Amino acid sequence: MLELVLCQAGYPEPMASVTLAHYLVLSAAMFVLGLVGFITRRNLIIMFLCTELMFQAAGLALIAFSRYHLNLDGQTFVIFVLTVAAAEAAMALALVVLLFRRRESLSSEEWAELKG
Amino acid sequence: MNSVLIPVSLALPVVFALLVAFMPAERARGTALVGMLLSAVPVLGLLFLFDYSRAAEFQFAASVEWAPQLGLSLSVGIDSVALLLIALTALLGPVCVLGSWTAITDRPRLFYSWLLVMQTAMIGVFAARDLVFFYMCFEFTLLPMFVLIGVFGSTNRKIASIKFFLYTFTGSLIALAGLVYVAWSASGHYGRWTLDIGELAAAARLMSPTEQGLVLAAMLAGFAVKVPLFPLHTWLPLAHTEAPTAGSVILAGVLLKLGTYGIYRFVLGFVPMAMVEHAPFLAVLAIIGIIYAGLICWVQTDVKKLVAYSSVSHLGFCVLGLLAVNTTGLSGSVMYMLSHGLSTGALFLMIGFMYERYHTRDMGQVQGLASKMPVWSSFMVFFVLASVGLPGLNGFVSEFLCLIGAFQSSSELVAAGHPGATAGALGPWYAAVAGVGMVVAAMYLLIMVGKVVWGELVEPAGHDDAHTGLPVDLSAREIAALLPLAAGCLIFGLFPQPLLGAIEAPVNVAVRSIEFEPVDVPHTTEHAEADLQVGEVAP
Amino acid sequence: MTGDVILTFAADAPVGVAPWWVMLIPALPMLGVILCTLMAIAGVRSKLPAWVTVGCLGASFVVAVAMLLNHGEGAAVAKAWDWFHISWGDAQGQQFNAIFGFYIDRLTILWMLFVTGLATLIGLYASEYMSHDVGPGYCRFFVAFNLFVFSMACLVMGANMLMLYLGWEGVGLCSYLLIGYYYKKPSAVAAGKKAFIVNRIGDLGLALGVYLTFVHFGTIEYAELFASDKLAGYLEHASHGDFSHIPLAAQVIPMLLMVGAFGKSAQLPLYVWLPDAMEGPTPVSALIHAATMVTAGVFLIARTYPVFQVSEYALPTVAWIGGLTAFFSATIGMAQFDIKRIMAYSTVSQLGYMFAGLGVLTSVGAAAHVFTHAFFKALLFLCCGAVMHGFAGQLDLRKLSGLWRMKGWGIVSITMLVGCLNLAGFPVITSGFWSKDMIMAEAFVRPGMGPVGWLLLITAGLTAYYTFRVFFRVFVGPQEYHPGDELHDDGHGAEHFHPHAPGWAINSVLVILAVLSFVAIPLVALNHGGWVGEMIHGSTAHYEAHAEAGHHGSVWLAGFNPHAVMYYISAVVGIAGILVAYALHLRGRTSAGEAPAAEAFKNALGPVQRWAEHKWYVDELYDFLFRKPLWVLSQIFRYVDMLLVDGLVNTAGWIPSALGGRLRRGQNGVLQSYAASMAGGLALFVVVVLILASRSG
Repeated sequence: MLELVLCQAGYPEPMASVTLAHYLVLSAAMFVLGLVGFITRRNLIIMFLCTELMFQAAGLALIAFSRYHLNLDGQTFVIFVLTVAAAEAAMALALVVLLFRRRESLSSEEWAELKG
Repeated sequence: MNSVLIPVSLALPVVFALLVAFMPAERARGTALVGMLLSAVPVLGLLFLFDYSRAAEFQFAASVEWAPQLGLSLSVGIDSVALLLIALTALLGPVCVLGSWTAITDRPRLFYSWLLVMQTAMIGVFAARDLVFFYMCFEFTLLPMFVLIGVFGSTNRKIASIKFFLYTFTGSLIALAGLVYVAWSASGHYGRWTLDIGELAAAARLMSPTEQGLVLAAMLAGFAVKVPLFPLHTWLPLAHTEAPTAGSVILAGVLLKLGTYGIYRFVLGFVPMAMVEHAPFLAVLAIIGIIYAGLICWVQTDVKKLVAYSSVSHLGFCVLGLLAVNTTGLSGSVMYMLSHGLSTGALFLMIGFMYERYHTRDMGQVQGLASKMPVWSSFMVFFVLASVGLPGLNGFVSEFLCLIGAFQSSSELVAAGHPGATAGALGPWYAAVAGVGMVVAAMYLLIMVGKVVWGELVEPAGHDDAHTGLPVDLSAREIAALLPLAAGCLIFGLFPQPLLGAIEAPVNVAVRSIEFEPVDVPHTTEHAEADLQVGEVAP
Repeated sequence: MTGDVILTFAADAPVGVAPWWVMLIPALPMLGVILCTLMAIAGVRSKLPAWVTVGCLGASFVVAVAMLLNHGEGAAVAKAWDWFHISWGDAQGQQFNAIFGFYIDRLTILWMLFVTGLATLIGLYASEYMSHDVGPGYCRFFVAFNLFVFSMACLVMGANMLMLYLGWEGVGLCSYLLIGYYYKKPSAVAAGKKAFIVNRIGDLGLALGVYLTFVHFGTIEYAELFASDKLAGYLEHASHGDFSHIPLAAQVIPMLLMVGAFGKSAQLPLYVWLPDAMEGPTPVSALIHAATMVTAGVFLIARTYPVFQVSEYALPTVAWIGGLTAFFSATIGMAQFDIKRIMAYSTVSQLGYMFAGLGVLTSVGAAAHVFTHAFFKALLFLCCGAVMHGFAGQLDLRKLSGLWRMKGWGIVSITMLVGCLNLAGFPVITSGFWSKDMIMAEAFVRPGMGPVGWLLLITAGLTAYYTFRVFFRVFVGPQEYHPGDELHDDGHGAEHFHPHAPGWAINSVLVILAVLSFVAIPLVALNHGGWVGEMIHGSTAHYEAHAEAGHHGSVWLAGFNPHAVMYYISAVVGIAGILVAYALHLRGRTSAGEAPAAEAFKNALGPVQRWAEHKWYVDELYDFLFRKPLWVLSQIFRYVDMLLVDGLVNTAGWIPSALGGRLRRGQNGVLQSYAASMAGGLALFVVVVLILASRSG
């Protein structure tokens, strides 16, 4: 199915060389893995890691396009994203530690205050 | 120099509201009283400096540019109608503070500062000459009242305050749509944005009849809720029963008049022909309100609810006078706004004083107070009689004029050659049926007096005079709150002419601005008159 | 102030400017109100309020006499201030004017003379009668008493219909306050309320009449109204019996005004409040509910007599209502046992005579009857009051007997006899005979009014019977008494009760009134109406029989001149009534309660007697027809308001909140479900984009 779609869009045959399509497929796979992980898992840390995974999937796609278009904007942007992600990881993990201290649990189900 | 008077009377209550808010709690009521009295000083200035020979013009005009590209400005100015309503507001202010003196012990600063802010908002409504400024003040009155009812009310205060707020707010939003439509249509006419009420009124008349009808409906959605006109009245009894005494006094005394004032200033000012066209329908609503609410009063057991429903009934007369669109009717209606503020405001004070002593308003539990509280009873009977419309007191003047206005207002009668008739869409039958309201009013108010004032003394079980912390009969402070109202009732009743003379010019301007279709007045030959049928005036 | 051109006078009806001092007539009672109020505030505990009242009212009477002496022909207006003045144009009818001022003509003077005179006398009587209440109640009584005279002065002297309305409602208020004077008594409170509310129904008619007068004639000032060409034109038509050229509006005006008159003067169907009004202190019953206030309806019609004449049906209606009321209430009065109630029904009945008199176009007869009735009915009430005062509130004629033999009760008994003779219309020597005859004779003369005449004649017999029923039971016969239930707390029970005979104030007032009722004879009897006739002929109440000049000489009643023959007929009827009363209630009566002949007569009547005793169940009927249905309707409205009107509002509020309630289930607070819905949304978006792309590509 995927093959069909890519062929129709004029992409080269598989196994010819590593093309943009390969990066994109990898990126999509990482994103879906992250998404599924985020939705199915209840552990806050795992969920956080899954968001990181989705982040990096987006970053990978950006780099691939950057290389493909021979334009450095994408790579610059990814550097920014990585920096922000690092800071954010520190913040997020600190928050997770705080949340753990409150409830002695890492389950996201402990936190459903937004229930209407 | 004169142009600062209105801004000063607008600013003073707010200044004192801030002062009260930062005072020690125990000095809040005193400061509030001083504030109310001082705020009345510029209003007194207005009363004395007003040029009554040009009463229809808007005097003491002052204006600050706000957003000139939109035509927005903070402009004020008053004609004699607005002047008298501002005077009523200023009179009720100190009365309210005196009436709440001992009743409000919890969070007095909150109470009194909102009460003072309320004054500004109400004066602003009457003084505004800019549509947006008017609307701001009109809506802003909701906020203090919401706090007064919601924080200081009795048991069901939350529901009452929310219902009051949402009901009147929803109505006002629809009215806003109508007002904005008028402004939009006027901007097309003038080629620029303007929100000046005078300019808008001139332009609004150029709208097509359909547009006028829709604008009328939109504006009435706001103002009729406020009046309140049947069947949009159900928020009122609830709000009144739950509100603290001062809240009820302000609500009955001034807030309801915002509705009738809105009808007078905007509906009659902007779309008079649509109003005349729909007058019969609206008059029927007003008359239903008069009798329906009156009969409901009869079966109430809660005194305050009774007086609240009586307001619905009374304001029906006021609206009827407006719908008569003739000089007597409009004069009567404006007089009604003033006199109802005095007598019903006073009745709410009376009930408040009773409630402070007995903590109940149930006519089954408190009866026959004449033998225990003769002073209270005398005032009660006096204000009830004023409310019943006894000639010589204020209620009569206004009720009589509204009814005769409705009676005269019939183009058919003009066509039939009756010299005292005026162009209009009502007629004798409207006045006759509305007049039944006078009988009903006598019925429910005297029955109430018969229970609460006359008869053997009944007090709630476990009542102890010493525990109230108040004298058995009215204190000097309470009498001081009532005396200005009582004097007002008597003076209005016996000497209404100064007031009638003051409002005659603006009322006549309003009446003359209505372009009725010319009526053929036949040359009064006896044969032509012989065919005339009084009974056949219903449109 | 009088310089303002408020009144425009037609040349043929000169209306002068009355001297300022006529305003003292209302002003002095007002001064009394203020002084008595101040005394109430100051807590005066003496008879001072009574003396102040008597002084003020007496001075007011003196001014009224001065007004009589000063007054010439025609009418005069005294203006105090502009009460209402609203103008919307220059033409006639485009200004609504009502001055606070007074219209003085002979009708006004006649009325004010007996109002202020009687008020002074009864004030004197009340000073003693109310003495058990000295203190705040005493002040309150005299405040209302003065206020009543003030209102009555506004009613009678008012320069326009609005002033009349002011006085009209003002006397209603005083009546309400004074009926409910004993405010701890539920029946008194209920009676006051009833009086005010029933009167309000009449007032509505009056108000509408005033509105229509303004709309049709363009003025409500008497001076302008009576001088208007329009009215003169109508009168011209009416005098020829041609009503087709008078517009309906003008003919409806009197119909509306008379509703007011029926309310205030207790005529069918609005008479029900007056008998109950006897709950008030007796001086009040005498002054307000017998002599003065209840004649306001008669005054209204007399004052606006020209307006009544332009309507084809107005005066005949008044005559019929008057005749029926006279008869109907007399039948009730015959079966009552409370002597004050009997007097109350007789008042209603006598007022019926006055209305019938107006209706059959003898305004002189009506005014003469008002005048004589004011004295003898006040006298009768005050005698009843003296009895009530002396016997601790006892009013049941079965519990009292033979008072004239008791020490100190001679004056009361004799004056009572004078009053009874007057009311019964005892021939020649009583003023009541002369005034009543004028009305009855005229009723037989007027075409189509014969039945009313018969009603009045029968009523005359009934009146004589029930009047002397009271006298024969209470004042003569075997001596016996039982005290009433208003025993003073002096430590003695009913067995130690001693009646206290009236003092000088009561006795002197009774004697003066009895004398006045004789003095009234020449004033009404000489030359068809005497002095009263002169007063009426010089006022708007004067009736000119244009087209009917021939009727007065016409021979009708069994071939005799009715005016001549009526004296004999009514004398016979009156004496017959008295004899029947004697036969039933005095002959063979051995104790207060036992009158064998009366019992036998009662048994012969069967249920009719019981129905009459229960006032023909009219109160119950009204309760069933009006009060109950209205009450039910009110309750329905109350629930409609709570459930339907407010229910709709609440439904409008409920809809958004219900919708929100559904939607909020989506907000389950679980982080993953938010993420899933985000992902789902994203996927949906991508699919849509792809599909759109494939379509366009």
